[in-house]
Amino acid sequence: MPRRKDIHRILMIGSGPIVIGQACEFDYSGSQACKALKEEGYFTILVNSNPATIMTDPGLADVTYIEPLSIEMAEKIIKKERPDAILPTLGGQTGLNLAYFLMKEGILKKYGVESIGASVDAISRAEDRLLFKKAMQEIGIDVPKSGIARSTEEGMRIGLEIGFPLILRPAYCLGGAGGAIVYNRQELEKFLEKGLSVSPVHQVLVEQSVLGWKEIEFEVIRDNADNVIIITSMENVDPMGIHTGDSMVVAPAQTLTAQEYNEFVDLSRKIIRKVGVTGGGANIQFGQNPDNGKIVIIEVNPRLSRSSALASKATGFPIARVATKLAVGLTLPEVINQITGKTSSFFEPTVDYCVFKICRFAFEKFPQAERVLNTSMKAVGEAMSIGRNFKEALQKGIRSIEISRFGFGCDSKDAFTDQMLKNLSPLLLQQIKDKIRIPNDERIFYLRYAIKAGLSIDEIYSLSQIDRWFLDNMKQLVELEERIKAARASSGDTEPDISAEVLREAKENGFSDRQLAYLLNSKEDVVRQIRKKQNIKAAYKLVDTCAGEIDAEKPYFYSTYETKDESRASNKKKVVILGGGPNRIGQGIEFDYCCCHASYALKEENIESVMVNCNPETVSTDYDTSTRLYFEPLTLEDVLNIIELEKPIGVIVQFGGQTPLNLAVALRKAGVHILGTSAENIDIAEDRERFKRMLQKLNLLQPDNGTAFTFEEAKGVARRIGYPVLVRPSYVLGGRAMEIVYDEATLEKFIAEAAKVSGDHPILIDKFLEDAIEVDVDLIGDGERFVIGGIMEHIEEAGIHSGDSAMSLPTFTLSGDILTKIREAAYRMAKELNVAGLMNVQFAVKDDKAYVLEVNPRASRTVPFVSKAIGVPLAKLATKVMLGKTLDELKFTKEIIPAYFAVKESVFPFNRFPGVDVILGPEMKSTGEVMGIDADFGLAYIKSQIAAGQNLPRKGNVFLSVRDKDKRSVIFIAKKLHELGFHLYATEGTSDALSKNGIPVKILVKIAEGRPNVLDLMKDGKIQLVINTPSGRIPRQDEVKIRSQVILHNIPYVTTISAAQATVNGIEILLKKDLKVKSLQEYHRNAARKTKK
Amino acid sequence: MNAILMLQDGKIFSGKTTGPIKEAIGEVVLNTAVVGYQEMVTDPANRGKILVLTYPLIGNYGINPKFNESPQWQLSGLVVKETSRTVSNWQARTSLDAFAKKQDALILRKVDTRSLAVHLRHKGEMLGIIAGLSSEPKTLLAKIDAHRKNQTQDLIRLTSTATPSYLGPKRARQKIVILDLGVSASLLAQLQSLGTGIFILPYTATANEITKTRAGGLIISNGPENDVNLEKIAQAVEPLLGTMPILGISTGLHALALAMGAKISKMKLGHRGVNYPVAHPGSFQAEITTQNHSFVVDNDSLDKITHLKIVGYHLNDRTIEEVAHNKLKCMGIQYYPQSPGKGQVHPVLKRFMHQCAIK
Repeated sequence: MPRRKDIHRILMIGSGPIVIGQACEFDYSGSQACKALKEEGYFTILVNSNPATIMTDPGLADVTYIEPLSIEMAEKIIKKERPDAILPTLGGQTGLNLAYFLMKEGILKKYGVESIGASVDAISRAEDRLLFKKAMQEIGIDVPKSGIARSTEEGMRIGLEIGFPLILRPAYCLGGAGGAIVYNRQELEKFLEKGLSVSPVHQVLVEQSVLGWKEIEFEVIRDNADNVIIITSMENVDPMGIHTGDSMVVAPAQTLTAQEYNEFVDLSRKIIRKVGVTGGGANIQFGQNPDNGKIVIIEVNPRLSRSSALASKATGFPIARVATKLAVGLTLPEVINQITGKTSSFFEPTVDYCVFKICRFAFEKFPQAERVLNTSMKAVGEAMSIGRNFKEALQKGIRSIEISRFGFGCDSKDAFTDQMLKNLSPLLLQQIKDKIRIPNDERIFYLRYAIKAGLSIDEIYSLSQIDRWFLDNMKQLVELEERIKAARASSGDTEPDISAEVLREAKENGFSDRQLAYLLNSKEDVVRQIRKKQNIKAAYKLVDTCAGEIDAEKPYFYSTYETKDESRASNKKKVVILGGGPNRIGQGIEFDYCCCHASYALKEENIESVMVNCNPETVSTDYDTSTRLYFEPLTLEDVLNIIELEKPIGVIVQFGGQTPLNLAVALRKAGVHILGTSAENIDIAEDRERFKRMLQKLNLLQPDNGTAFTFEEAKGVARRIGYPVLVRPSYVLGGRAMEIVYDEATLEKFIAEAAKVSGDHPILIDKFLEDAIEVDVDLIGDGERFVIGGIMEHIEEAGIHSGDSAMSLPTFTLSGDILTKIREAAYRMAKELNVAGLMNVQFAVKDDKAYVLEVNPRASRTVPFVSKAIGVPLAKLATKVMLGKTLDELKFTKEIIPAYFAVKESVFPFNRFPGVDVILGPEMKSTGEVMGIDADFGLAYIKSQIAAGQNLPRKGNVFLSVRDKDKRSVIFIAKKLHELGFHLYATEGTSDALSKNGIPVKILVKIAEGRPNVLDLMKDGKIQLVINTPSGRIPRQDEVKIRSQVILHNIPYVTTISAAQATVNGIEILLKKDLKVKSLQEYHRNAARKTKK
Repeated sequence: MNAILMLQDGKIFSGKTTGPIKEAIGEVVLNTAVVGYQEMVTDPANRGKILVLTYPLIGNYGINPKFNESPQWQLSGLVVKETSRTVSNWQARTSLDAFAKKQDALILRKVDTRSLAVHLRHKGEMLGIIAGLSSEPKTLLAKIDAHRKNQTQDLIRLTSTATPSYLGPKRARQKIVILDLGVSASLLAQLQSLGTGIFILPYTATANEITKTRAGGLIISNGPENDVNLEKIAQAVEPLLGTMPILGISTGLHALALAMGAKISKMKLGHRGVNYPVAHPGSFQAEITTQNHSFVVDNDSLDKITHLKIVGYHLNDRTIEEVAHNKLKCMGIQYYPQSPGKGQVHPVLKRFMHQCAIK
């Protein structure tokens, strides 16, 4: 059927900031959708609050709104743009929920907007637990026993009737937020309360646990002619009980018989029909009893999802693109499969490899969090690996997640030696068993320890319920490890005498050269040489959707060790771009955005782009982003293999964050040409001593500092420069293990932690400038000319990691004088470092002085934000500069200072880690960002807060409790709140300060001293805003309780005075003015631009 | 043991066998399905072939006799990347390796099956021989050549039943004949689930013998392709055209088409897998089918057969997948009418049984 002609304007909703459970995959699906709709000639309107996305690049959609994803703002956009249809299936749970609520409020009806892709009915049938259960029972599919609880009492009744253990699933929540497995009455009550409060519709499904069952997923697509195809099956290595977003997953499923597979296919077809998806995709999750094959349905997502992104990358089938085409009326047979270039999309992909997905966690950022995995997702990112067998894919996967591991153990990083595992102490045995029984992020390594310690496969199975097939494959790796070790060199200097046969077998099973070097008592480069001598080299095979049956036109590649190499390296001029690998805190979508832009720039310059990345969620791993894509881990070995094959004119390491930068030195040593700022100058910026000398030479200020390897040295440095000091390891991103230290005792503790992270590099110690204003500068240079992209003033004071701070572009309090100093300093450093490409500088401003905190000669986290704010694609320009273009030629010669304000705000995963305090510090904790953009700072700030999920009140009660230092500044804030009609509550100390200044305030007793206290008020919904600044390094018990309640009840909160000021200003504006919407294109077009030399 | 697969064009792929090597010759064909190895190795239609599985991890869920399409291992050789040493499924009774050993069958492992698949895609399907590593290439080529020349593809003789039999309730409401070219167990199971009484007749059955059963319809089953016996079968079927509803399945379709005067031709690379799209003229609805064939009904040869309609074609290469002759009440499908799910019957079989019921 041809595309629909009765609709012309289509509104797409993005997924907002990156949070746990919703990451880059929706940028990938959203940008594919934008392109697909454009191809079909529709006018597209996009709204997304996340500036770090490719989809929000002006040009992808016809009109782009970077506005909060709230019902209010969405209605304004609908009113202004009058779309005929809304496509809600590409923006994750956020997009789907927003569309659902727009329907519920009658807004879609009012403006005559049709929901395409998934009808409102289909969404309800999949999302509303009761409707879903009923629909499934109607087609004879079993669901776990369950009931819907709308209150704690109801939930208790249902739960006790079904019996423990139980699974709780709050309705309309993404990534299983608020979900839990409960084993007893007490836990049931506790988690019911939590679940009810996080569910936007206050419903929790109380469900029979199918813990330990196989978890099987199917990706299904259906068009409006009722054609259904299966994209792939997936099997979770971790069984039911662990959120699939946290599980290791293989595609296709490995342990299903043909009949079982057919049964799943049949059920999947019935389900997608019953749910009523017409013109779109769905992810279906099943549980299967491993003892008798009984199947239950767990969940259906009638939209693009994390799993569908994985399925798409695993098979080559562009699900988002095809689903979008189906949403506008085309049928599967009419849509071409672009990978093969010659077949129809009505063809079920088949694979001739094994795909493995493994998750990246961030527990190290939240030391107080319980390090266990359950039904509430905790992973911040994931990597996908491809091998010709499971063992190879497993080992590649582990080295892809960049946790400094190089495969399935035996890489010198194991927690226990072979000796310890052989002579197992009862204590260690218990520890291993516990780590396997209770799922956690390190379990994969404990499985190996258990195998090495001689536990049987059956025993490990009974502890973990991980299918014996996976366990046996792991055992095969351990057995091979022993055979490799037999060829171990007697000393590190002699070449190990390993037979070509064993070496080949090792490589076929995914052993990295690093692992082999460790096992053979040799070095990585020696192993590499031996390998080459034996002609054991990586061969590249194709992801082609058809297992080689059709000669595919646009496949992508993975390495393996087979007889024939199918790579298609050309003789044309080309550049390799190293991607950022899995998302993690500190390195996320912003860097993928930059890598994609590098690719686009190369295309414009008619140079081939070769992308290397292993993150299946991203746009950079989309089949049509680069000339060629290698789905590979970003380790030296894997990257060098590709470079040797492709022979590029250079490699871009500036854009992928710390991952590629960490490889820069080794690559240069291997003779690889690094494009852009020279490695020598990168080193000047990264090396503390050299950097210090440069600043002295340029006459620039820097906080007093020193470096140390030991506590003794650190003590000396700290005494010399004076406390407080900022302690941090070198060469890390996201402020890993960074701390502000006020005394010697704490210093000792943190030196130990930092040393662990820092490795061979020294620990950096800086004088901490209290109450300074932090400023970020992004700059671009061509070696001769340098232009500032943006100067951003942080809202939170120095000491809070720049990735966690809110910031404004342009600045909002800095004097012209200070700005001049900042500009001059930035330009001088750029010139000195001969910057070719991007550079980021962080300043601290105190007492009218600008101190240089650090310089990073690479793309920073803020590049997409600045690019969106000023309307100039900095990363793209930087790429062209690296290829030899000048800024003159690129016509970017003057700093643009917008006449409007753009505010970036960070979004935090605290709701995922119960018990973790929400205060901010020098260690980055945020997962994502949003942008608020408007005519003045106040409006932009308030938009950023709404976009970040802070539901700021217009009336009600505010609770204030601040440390002594902030008592003076809080008076002004409280006064304003009082004037705006808010009622104030405060703790004794804070209320003292307020009453003395004539501000009416009610005193609340300390939590331990009686009731009702603040916790009771919060529980009862009587507090609409909490302003609480932490009292010191070790927070008081009351504060932690208050702050964790804030998260539980989703109450807006601020933990710094500066943010409190901005918030109260914002509320004032909110009361006086109506928020308006304006597209990015309008801002860029109409805004009068002031430019500065 | 180290061993090789040598193709007719001299190309060699190395691998390993578990047991002792015995030489095996056959047409080398690919199957791209991820699951279903047991069904494939026991499918009589695959008799004498060297089957290459493109999915690299085989044997994971073991073997259970209930999944057999015939009691026998039908292949000349199975070529895979890796067989699983462990089996993991609640239904597994034995492993693929053990099953092969018991059946005295040959599995060549550790082969770069991807490269082999790509090679066959370029060069087309051809004969091959599995032999010991030290075999002299010239000798092997000579053996392939001899096989090719002497080849009177006479396999239906082996895959068909030797004697007539009857399956199902004595007083079945509906009875049909299956002309057995190598019928698969799963097809019989589907028909039985409808309560049909089934006369299974050997491929040598005459029109008279078929008519004598007084069955309401005839199914010409699947079996080995390009067989010397197909002409004879077509001759037996021809007088039956128009006298009773007839359904030809896969190779059975070839026999039916020959009986109607059509020709059969060979494809460069066959369709073997579970993901093939079949479209219907004038409809946006299409279906995904399981296929296992290298020969097709020749499109041009259908022109002179009046009233024969092409009702299904392969969406990508436009080969014939389904024909119907309403006057003669004949239909034929090139794909396998696999059960769409537990206890369910493929719509084509239902349709055929319905047609048989109309007097």
